[in-house]
Amino acid sequence: MSLVTCKGLSKSYGDKQALKQVDISLNAGNPIALVGPNGAGKTTLFSLLCGYIKPTSGEISLLGHPPGSAALLGRIASLPQDAQLDPNLDVLTQLSFFASLQGFDSKAANAEALRVLNLVDLSDSAKHKPKSLSHGMAKRVSIAQALIGSPELVLLDEPTAGLDPANAKKIRELVKSLSAKTTFIISSHNLDELEKLCDQVLYLEQGQLQQSVSMSEAQHEDYLTVTMQRCAPASLINAVLGLADISAVEERENNQFLIKHNSQQAYAIEIALLQLFKQNNWQYKAILKGRTLEEKLFS
Amino acid sequence: MENNPQANSTIKNTLLLAQFEVKKMLFNPRGLIALIAFSLVWMLILLYPISGASTFLINPDFRTVIEGFFGINAVSELFEWPVAELAVYWIAALYLFPLFSIFVSADQFASDKARGTLRFLTQRVGRDSLFFGRFIGHMLLQSLLLCLTVIATIVLAVSRETSLLLPALYSGLIVSINLIIVLLPYTALMAILSLYASSARQATIYAILVWAAMSITIAIINSYLPIINVLKWLLPGSQISLMINTQGLQSFMYAPIALIQACALLFAGKLYINRSAL
Repeated sequence: MSLVTCKGLSKSYGDKQALKQVDISLNAGNPIALVGPNGAGKTTLFSLLCGYIKPTSGEISLLGHPPGSAALLGRIASLPQDAQLDPNLDVLTQLSFFASLQGFDSKAANAEALRVLNLVDLSDSAKHKPKSLSHGMAKRVSIAQALIGSPELVLLDEPTAGLDPANAKKIRELVKSLSAKTTFIISSHNLDELEKLCDQVLYLEQGQLQQSVSMSEAQHEDYLTVTMQRCAPASLINAVLGLADISAVEERENNQFLIKHNSQQAYAIEIALLQLFKQNNWQYKAILKGRTLEEKLFS
Repeated sequence: MENNPQANSTIKNTLLLAQFEVKKMLFNPRGLIALIAFSLVWMLILLYPISGASTFLINPDFRTVIEGFFGINAVSELFEWPVAELAVYWIAALYLFPLFSIFVSADQFASDKARGTLRFLTQRVGRDSLFFGRFIGHMLLQSLLLCLTVIATIVLAVSRETSLLLPALYSGLIVSINLIIVLLPYTALMAILSLYASSARQATIYAILVWAAMSITIAIINSYLPIINVLKWLLPGSQISLMINTQGLQSFMYAPIALIQACALLFAGKLYINRSAL
């Protein structure tokens, strides 16, 4: 069964059309990314999927049910953008209450709340009130609440925005470790992060679904992206163009070069490049098979 | 530990929400401040007018003052109450509890909606459960406070005359049930206003506007078309001035008005929460 299906989904706020005729079909599995510029309609799409708002036209089906239906309660969770917990009650009380609403008895609800807080490394803050938490900690608590009862689908709206790099990494690892049981749909502006986590990328612009890119397809494309430590770009481009089967080399920002080739032989280009670097004593930072997500979406 | 328990029924979640609402009000600083203010006001009412009730209800001067204020025969029943303390309590409570209800139930949804907290809840409970759970929670809390004031009044009456225990308990029970019924439409209307407003204060302002606007509109319509006198029953609390002159089981004769109003408002609220963006 399809996890998420949207047909002709549109949403208007007065004159402004936030989503225009969006068709999506997503299956359960690895994390799915939702990208797009500010105001592209990402949060609107999330709010529609969660049932917070109703579409102007079109249909949505989650696990075979419309959003907000009783059959979905507890099976779908989300980290809504900017939603905050009640400032007057401590974190554990609120998370335990959420768990009890999902059917846990009071003892199990408490244990479940502590389990999810532990997942985001915040079990020490269980007795704190949301007011005393930093922005990043509050966000991690909100992520924790989305994991109560291991739902089948979790929508995360900018989960790592505002987190320090160490905690952002932990969240990415957490998503990865839980993705066997739970399908995550993640909206983010951090393309590197999405590249590491997601298999499928939906690109939304001006309320329309512009592209749906599959990461696994990237492996079959005849591109290599090379990031160099330091080198003279002009001489590198010339030298690479001198190798066999290279059709184009373009310089991107930060000493990054996009190499298009038509070699049929596995690793032939990679080996030739490494030999070239060795001869010229050029230090490389990274060699990526295919193109970066940024390159795929914006060029 | 990871397990996925069976989902709760709608009724169970409604009751869990109601229970949590009471707990939230009783155990957080804002709730406690409201509770202290409530207790102080009632302590004053209990100490002065209610504890002195037996003396001044017998006093003919007091009767003249009251009749001058409410009209002759408009309060005749007041002097028939077997327990004088409860008679005075009845007047005070009929006017004060609805007022208290407007303030105490103004935040059934407003802050949580503005803060986005409702979004955490709607993934776990249906909107009907959320609406009725919060409403029941606020009704439970008000009923609890109301019963405490009735018990305090009974204690005052019995401390004056021990033989009053049984009539006081009987009148107390009738008064409590009647007052709870009176509060139903107030709390239901506040639930709707609180869903619409973005803060408790705004909900309270809307309440004042609704009552003022409705009273003026009804008065205007009545002056032109006196036949539609029944319109006044649309407004919650319109029966209160008539209830003052009732006692015992007779006071239940106005209960259907409040019950019908509450049902209509709850139905409107149920439709509204299901259609609104949270």
